Amino acid sequence: MAELAVDNLSLRFGGLTVLDNVSFAVETGELFALIGPNGAGKTSALNCISGIYRGTGAVRFRGQDILGLKPHQIARQGLARTFQHGELFAQMSVLENLLTGRHARIGTHPLAEMLFLPSVKRAEIAHREAVERIIDVVELERYRHAPVGALPFGLQKIVGFARALALEPTTLLLDEPSAGLNREERENLARFILRIKHELNVTIVWIEHDMQMISDLADRVHVLDYGRTLAEGRPEVVLNDPAVLAAYLGTAA
Amino acid sequence: MFRSTPRASGYYRTGYGQDLALIQTRTERISLAILVTLAIALPFIAGPFLLDLACQVFLASIGALSLMLLTGYAGQISLGHAGLIAAGAFTTGILAREIAAPFWITLPASALTGILLGLIFGLPSLRLRGLYLAVSTLALHFIVIYLGGEYETKRGFSTGILIDPPSLAGFKLTDGRAWYFVLLLAAAASLMICINLLRSSSGRAWRAVHARETVAEALGINVAGYKLLVFVISSSMTSVAGCLFAYYRGFVSIEAFDLFLSIQYVAMIIIGGMGSLLGALLGAAFVTLFPYLIESLLALLPNIQKFAGDIFAVNYTAFGVVMILFLVFEPLGLVGIWRRLQNYFLLWPFKYRPLTGARK
Repeated sequence: MAELAVDNLSLRFGGLTVLDNVSFAVETGELFALIGPNGAGKTSALNCISGIYRGTGAVRFRGQDILGLKPHQIARQGLARTFQHGELFAQMSVLENLLTGRHARIGTHPLAEMLFLPSVKRAEIAHREAVERIIDVVELERYRHAPVGALPFGLQKIVGFARALALEPTTLLLDEPSAGLNREERENLARFILRIKHELNVTIVWIEHDMQMISDLADRVHVLDYGRTLAEGRPEVVLNDPAVLAAYLGTAA
Repeated sequence: MFRSTPRASGYYRTGYGQDLALIQTRTERISLAILVTLAIALPFIAGPFLLDLACQVFLASIGALSLMLLTGYAGQISLGHAGLIAAGAFTTGILAREIAAPFWITLPASALTGILLGLIFGLPSLRLRGLYLAVSTLALHFIVIYLGGEYETKRGFSTGILIDPPSLAGFKLTDGRAWYFVLLLAAAASLMICINLLRSSSGRAWRAVHARETVAEALGINVAGYKLLVFVISSSMTSVAGCLFAYYRGFVSIEAFDLFLSIQYVAMIIIGGMGSLLGALLGAAFVTLFPYLIESLLALLPNIQKFAGDIFAVNYTAFGVVMILFLVFEPLGLVGIWRRLQNYFLLWPFKYRPLTGARK
């Protein structure tokens, strides 16, 4: 059974077809890249999976239909995501951002929180420990108390990545995690992606524009163009497909 | 949350539990001890006028803290706070008048009224944002005032409802000193509730909702649920403040809860400093004491008796001017000034400030 299966997913905004019968299946532990030229519908596909947009078709996560569920219900099932532009809470510290990302796993009752009962304190400490493990994985120890807005952009991207990881998801949706990063930061990111794939065994759906990173890291690649599937398969095969090259570079007239 | 980030150096922790402690350094412990001693000693030094001022500040603090929770942290604007205080005061007044309900019934009843109103008037927040939400909360104010007015005229209390002083365990609460301690405790309890909520999961969820709703939702936060929760908590706290207000004054009348009171509460959190509980307290003290300050300043002028009728106008104008000055020159409010002072003296007499975020 596939970890995440998308069947005939379509999305329309008025007369504009953003996604047209897109289907793919991601296996457990796989690093699945979603690529395509600008406006191909990659982020829209991610938004449909995480429940922000409502498409038609079917999205099954670990055998369960999640299409039509609210985003917070989908996150609760263990499907976390990052955002293209970070969308971090700038006023909050790195720790607070990560703890917020872990919200779905913290089940303390507001009435108990008002009095900060021992049970709440125990929960806060336990979740702090869990979040510290994530901080350790992505090497943010130095910055745990810094307000996120004060950090350089490259680090902010890593915080966004860590915030999604803080949920301890079984599947992680990454929306262009490397956009705007320099070479060194990209190499760090690649290291972290491989680490969570191999150490935490997280399934990853990854939108990316850096073909070098994709051919080095991805297990499989799915190419979208104008909302349709163009190709799918091993990176070395797909990235040499004439149709894919044409979509990216254009064809000679 | 309650403090600025840079803190004293040389305090090391060996467990995450220590990081959660509210009082961490010796300076903090000493300042808290001094503050508590002063708060306890004040009623034995101060005269009745000063005691009344302190009680007013405590009452305003509860309202300001609950509004800060709602607006400063969860980002939901409310112009209905005077209505909520009125709701608590009228619940108390009506119950005390009609069935001679004692204190321990009227207080939870007021909280319950607040919870109900919070639920009803939190519902528009699921659809509306910003100014539109503010207008819908304004409706709350007018509905409560209308109902209160109807009750007053129908029952013939057209000048207001008189309430007997409450009795706690057979002890009648009439003494100003006793009131001081009751209201101090109530304000301290409200502050603790806010601090505790903000340092746990709900507080983080509210701040996330404030920052970006879609993102909060995608992180697994039930945005609608948390919006309603903050409305309910804030409204019930405010209604309890209304109940205490009614008993403290011994008298409830709709005239006391005009729209200007709601504006004053909004002014408290703006002047105090958005997104800070300390700001709510400073703002409550400032806005409550400001008219008295202006009056005593005017009293220093020669021939002031001739203009006695204009003092109100001067007061309103001065209040408006101060609001504008704060918005323009100190958007961070009183708490911004306080933090700058703190930072200045942190390494005084040296010039350089510690790196922000170096260590809490």
